[in-house]
Amino acid sequence: MSLDDIPLFSMMKSRMGYVTAREKLISQNVANADTSGFAPKDLKPFTLSGPGTEGTGAGQLALALPSGSGSATGAAGRGGAVLPVRTDPAHLGFNSDSAAAGGWKSITAGDSETKIDGNKVVVEDQMAKLTESRLQYQAVIGFYEKAMDMLKMAGTAPGK
Amino acid sequence: MADPISSSAVYAIAASGLRAQQSRMRIIAENLANADSTAKTPNGDPYRRQTPVFQPTKVDGGGQGVAMAKVAADQTPFKQEYQPGHPAADANGYVKLPNVEPLVEALDMREAQRSYEANLNVIEAARSMDQGVLDLLKH
Repeated sequence: MSLDDIPLFSMMKSRMGYVTAREKLISQNVANADTSGFAPKDLKPFTLSGPGTEGTGAGQLALALPSGSGSATGAAGRGGAVLPVRTDPAHLGFNSDSAAAGGWKSITAGDSETKIDGNKVVVEDQMAKLTESRLQYQAVIGFYEKAMDMLKMAGTAPGK
Repeated sequence: MADPISSSAVYAIAASGLRAQQSRMRIIAENLANADSTAKTPNGDPYRRQTPVFQPTKVDGGGQGVAMAKVAADQTPFKQEYQPGHPAADANGYVKLPNVEPLVEALDMREAQRSYEANLNVIEAARSMDQGVLDLLKH
């Protein structure tokens, strides 16, 4: 069992991947802040499902049975255990490998002004985004630390 | 398992930005230094202002950095001044002076400086994020 099997950890990993990818885009925007005709990019808002994970239908709660014929995807490769199936991107996933693999969708997101040479990067806006993603990253690190403390506590004998 | 996006790409991209702005500063320095460089003979052209052209460029580790693709000549007409005694003066006594505007260069220089600082900020943010992860090991 790896840490990724704990939904909280895989969610945090996915979030850190997202913030890192976003920071890379910001660095591209800032580097090209004086390139004529350049339009800045940003990532689509963060979703827990990550890229490539599609739900079977929003809002439905389905349970995959080990002997199920059609929809037993959740039970595949898990020794026939009964597992809940993710039918909504907001559900806690049991396998978020696809989210951790990166590949977040980037979109062109012009800033508040366009320069006369067609450049749409406003350095101030990018700096704000940069600080925002730095804080988000630090928040995840904080959560990670707390979660590790929790695991440690679970592994410590009572009273020790 | 490893983080799919390494922040080393961020450093490479920001470094390409630093390099581009530095090249731009060099061009500005050339323009300012030659703001009074005239031709040596009549009908000759004086120094022509240079402008850097930036272009997105692939960097190591993936991603779009920036590079100075070329240095183009500024096509603005030259200034003229009446100096009959000048070796470069034409038949009417006018000397062609470079099309360099010191005020424009000063503003350009400030812009380059700001962009340079912005790229430094990106490096600093990436560094502090990496440092945060490393600090997890201390616990």
